[in-house]
Amino acid sequence: MARASTAPAELDAPVGDTSVAEDRPWIVLVWNDPINLMSYVAFVFQKLFGYSKDKAHRLMLDVHEKGRAVVSSGPREKAELDVFRLHEHGLWATMQRDDH
Amino acid sequence: MPRRFRAPRRPVKSLGPDCFRLMIDDDERALVARLFEQLRGLVTEAPAADPRLRRLFPTAYHDDPERDVEYQRLMRDELLASRLASLAEVEQVLTREFLTSDQLASFMRSLNAVRLVLGTLLDVGEETDASELDQEDPLFVEHQLYAWLSWMLEHVVGALRQGLA
Repeated sequence: MARASTAPAELDAPVGDTSVAEDRPWIVLVWNDPINLMSYVAFVFQKLFGYSKDKAHRLMLDVHEKGRAVVSSGPREKAELDVFRLHEHGLWATMQRDDH
Repeated sequence: MPRRFRAPRRPVKSLGPDCFRLMIDDDERALVARLFEQLRGLVTEAPAADPRLRRLFPTAYHDDPERDVEYQRLMRDELLASRLASLAEVEQVLTREFLTSDQLASFMRSLNAVRLVLGTLLDVGEETDASELDQEDPLFVEHQLYAWLSWMLEHVVGALRQGLA
């Protein structure tokens, strides 16, 4: 995999439709980065979201192989809290409105 | 993300649901204490735009700069407080042999924070391999330190994961 850039703003991120309703659910993304260990990332998903070992591992592989994965979703306040907890653990998490 | 690092020695062991044995020597504990102190200095004294802090205080709204400014205004101090609380918790117990899972989790977050800063400084890439370090590299020692932190973190995660199961 190519070296990742080191700021989310530099990534080729999908741009959300700004005309949608305020209450549309939000998604929390975790982006691949060259520093965080795979085992660490999977463990953080297990610990923060209560995911099974298998689900956490699958999500981690999605991040690693596809560059990012949706790790949680919900109202804006919940997404902000999840982003915060992921940032506490040093993961590269961002949030946006769900496009689907 | 780099794959796991392997080394024969095991620096931490899960002894029960909330008891972990930290088996690193005094030199290693002193090294970690120094790194944590430097991390505290960095997060409390460096200006917010310092590139070394980029990975510790990431963007939250990557497609909405206005919302991100608001988010950072509300949350950056909380994130800083959380990082300092983890550091304070682990520094209190760094000389101990036995740690609780909360203490080990603080150790984990702080180790990872140091790795994020060091990895950013070293511009670590996906393919960076600790076993292929060039001794002539002017940053050889820093790369070795990074590899040591990776090894330590890998084992802390392994021990805590046992505690989860």
